[in-house]
Amino acid sequence: MTKPYLELENLAKSYDGRTHALHSVNLSVAKGEFITFLGPSGSGKTTTLMLIAGFEAASEGEIRVNGASITRVPPHRRDIGIVFQNYALFPHRTALGNVMFPLQMRKMPKAMAAEKARAMLDLVGLARFAERHPREMSGGQQQRVALARALVFDPALLLLDEPLGALDKNLREGLQIEIKRIQRGLGVTTIFVTHDQSEAMAMSDRIVVFEGGRIQQAGAPLEVYNRPANEFVARFVGDSNLLPIRLTDPAAGLGEVAGIGPVRVPAQPGRQAGDRATLLLRPEAFGLPNGEAINAFRMRVGAVVHFGDSALLIGRAGETDVRARLPGLAAQGIAEGTEISLSWSPVSAHLLPAAKES
Amino acid sequence: MRLALILFGAVVLAFVAMPLLIVVPMSFSTAVSLEFPPPGWWTGYYAAYFSDARWTTPTLNSLGIAAAVSVLTVLLVTPATFAVVRHRFVGKGLVNLALMLPLAVPHIVMAIGYYAFLADIRLLQTFPGIVLAHTALSVPLAFLVLSANLKGFDRGLERAALSLGATPARTFLHVTMPVLWPGFAAAALFAFVQSFDETVVALFISGRDTETLPRKMFDSIRTTADPVIAVVSTLLFAAVAVLVIAPVLWRAVSRRRSEARP
Amino acid sequence: MSKSLAPAQSSLRSWLLVAPLLVFLTAFFLVPLAQVAVMSVSDPEWGLGHYVDIATDGFHLRVLGDTFLTALIVSLCCLLLGFPLAYAMAAAPPGLAAAMMVVVTMSFWTSFLVRTYAWMVLLGSRGPVAHLFSWFGFTAPELLFTRFSSTVAMTHILLPYMVLSLYGVLKRIEPSLPRSAASLGAPPSFVIRHVVLPLAAPGIVNGLTLVFVLCLGFYVTPILLGSPREQMVAGVIGQQVEEFLAFGEASAMAVVLLASTLVVLGLYHRRFGLDRLWG
Repeated sequence: MTKPYLELENLAKSYDGRTHALHSVNLSVAKGEFITFLGPSGSGKTTTLMLIAGFEAASEGEIRVNGASITRVPPHRRDIGIVFQNYALFPHRTALGNVMFPLQMRKMPKAMAAEKARAMLDLVGLARFAERHPREMSGGQQQRVALARALVFDPALLLLDEPLGALDKNLREGLQIEIKRIQRGLGVTTIFVTHDQSEAMAMSDRIVVFEGGRIQQAGAPLEVYNRPANEFVARFVGDSNLLPIRLTDPAAGLGEVAGIGPVRVPAQPGRQAGDRATLLLRPEAFGLPNGEAINAFRMRVGAVVHFGDSALLIGRAGETDVRARLPGLAAQGIAEGTEISLSWSPVSAHLLPAAKES
Repeated sequence: MRLALILFGAVVLAFVAMPLLIVVPMSFSTAVSLEFPPPGWWTGYYAAYFSDARWTTPTLNSLGIAAAVSVLTVLLVTPATFAVVRHRFVGKGLVNLALMLPLAVPHIVMAIGYYAFLADIRLLQTFPGIVLAHTALSVPLAFLVLSANLKGFDRGLERAALSLGATPARTFLHVTMPVLWPGFAAAALFAFVQSFDETVVALFISGRDTETLPRKMFDSIRTTADPVIAVVSTLLFAAVAVLVIAPVLWRAVSRRRSEARP
Repeated sequence: MSKSLAPAQSSLRSWLLVAPLLVFLTAFFLVPLAQVAVMSVSDPEWGLGHYVDIATDGFHLRVLGDTFLTALIVSLCCLLLGFPLAYAMAAAPPGLAAAMMVVVTMSFWTSFLVRTYAWMVLLGSRGPVAHLFSWFGFTAPELLFTRFSSTVAMTHILLPYMVLSLYGVLKRIEPSLPRSAASLGAPPSFVIRHVVLPLAAPGIVNGLTLVFVLCLGFYVTPILLGSPREQMVAGVIGQQVEEFLAFGEASAMAVVLLASTLVVLGLYHRRFGLDRLWG
């Protein structure tokens, strides 16, 4: 990675001095990167954001931007643009007045501030709405004003706190593309917080998965999807089948799964025969085998859910529950209650450490 | 039973409204004492009210006292309300209760208390004395109004302002105050009205030179049944009508205006 | 703004914000109030004599009894009148409900004196009620300066408190609840008695407490409209100060009145929490 721009070092937060909302978080972000904090509520992602913004004080650790510590800098001197979940637009100011606010706080002459704010509103496609008050605008428009306001002062960092959560699905997809376009154009280093994994997949250069106040994994979207670090990440990002596997010949990539039988997986040079692990198979990894295929097994179909372009089959192989997603056309003839053959390619499988004893 | 209940409700509404409405025709009556329906009509008692210093002086006294009370009340209550609503601190429950206490004590009790107390500190029958007493009595309502507004205030706005580079002081000035001003205005108004209407304490602690309007009305009703009371009542009633109806209309108009826009 | 300060430090900051108001209330509210308590045992001489008098002599006990009885009657009248009105308001379409609300709030905000004066006109010997009597060929009974006139006027004056308390809870009842009860076969009267009333109970208790407490200490209306022979506590307290300068005796009565009020409010507080009463 290039020289880090934003660094979190051993960052920890405790509200009561005993239990930790955040345990020793370490992260480096490169300049211009689009990072997504992904996790369920209470996972620590929002706490981390609040620490970066300065609304909460870190209990331990350091936050550095461009090498300089901002850990003890008050929020109004951190130079960080934030788009809040409910936008937090000032109701007593127009769209233009909102966007001008940070410039006025920086003592920019009024005419210049207005000009700059108008240019920014133009960039987010709201030039015509400059004189409107927030209550006279739709949710999507308010969202754009909030984005313009957070960007107009060329902040060192842009933080987006679930900014699309309150919008309906179609609008959300449009704005995802829009935010990406603007962010790329300005090259601003961005941290985006969400609990929506498809949003994270669609927008990020890198995804950081949070759970239990810790970073579970940080990596490019496909890396996180294809090679999750643990069961939590596997379950949280995407749909998954997690099957217990016993390795018979790790070097050759052979193992055994209850209900399915002997299987072939990528070679596991680090493991030993008899080791137990968890086999991750994404539902879309399955296909209908033609002829004699490896990793083929029989599944009794319990339910078929058609989405049109694809279909989800939920069934059992022996004692094991399996979720398989097939292309819509391939699934059309499959009836509930019948038994079908499925197979998967060894390269689409990923092995996780065995689940901890519960 | 449901219908009967609603019909009876309508009758009760008439019972609520009727006594208010009767003072209006009374104020235009030529009757020299309590008589309804009026034997004739004129506006002479309005002229009498506006030209008689025995009525105008108490009116001005009350307006001045109420204005001072509303300013003093808001100044005292604002910081306390911010602390109670926003902070957690040792003894907060007690403070909360203490601020509500003046609402729990009957005014007649405070009237004799203030009579003795203000006499001791030589403020009996003075404007400062009345202002101090009325301010104490206005605290709970102003606190209730302001804290309700403050609880509804989105603190995200302040965080947004800070993140955009506003110092805490400028955040308060440019965001908190302008957004909360209806709350401050309402708190000031409650304090104003409470002082302007307060009768019992004023009866005991205001003097001949500091007579308040309610005191003058009370004495007048008790002793002479001066017809000018109907005029004062109508004017007070009209002021209340404006205060109550104006926000309702304003809300309706602004809703229509924002609906007119796409 | 919300920096996590050490607890002691943030407590100090909060107390600094609250301090001016607390000092003010102590000086100009608690001290005068305490003075009443002191006067009750020190004027004209130290001792509990005034309390002994109140507890033993018939006049004071009768006044206290009358006051409580009146407060009780007024509270119940307010409930009986207020419930149908609040119910009608909650059931009315929004525009009509807003108009009804305007009437109630206007009454609420109109000075006690104005409303008392209005009742003097209404019930006076040459007022509309008397006219109505004579129109039907009866001689009007003496309505003014009786217990009746002061009770009616106090009910009218305190009714908005009750209506606003009740409307608050009735409006919050999920409309689907009475509907689902009705869809399950409950007749309307049953729905009102077994669904609406229990859900409105907090508002009823609220309204009754407010009206009762306010009525206990009522001064203006009973003095102006009531019978001089059947006074309420507040009136007697005022009279003792104004006419006899008997501060000790008045203070002792005031302490008894205050104690009664606080007992009622204390019971409410233990059950529901005082901050809801004026909410």
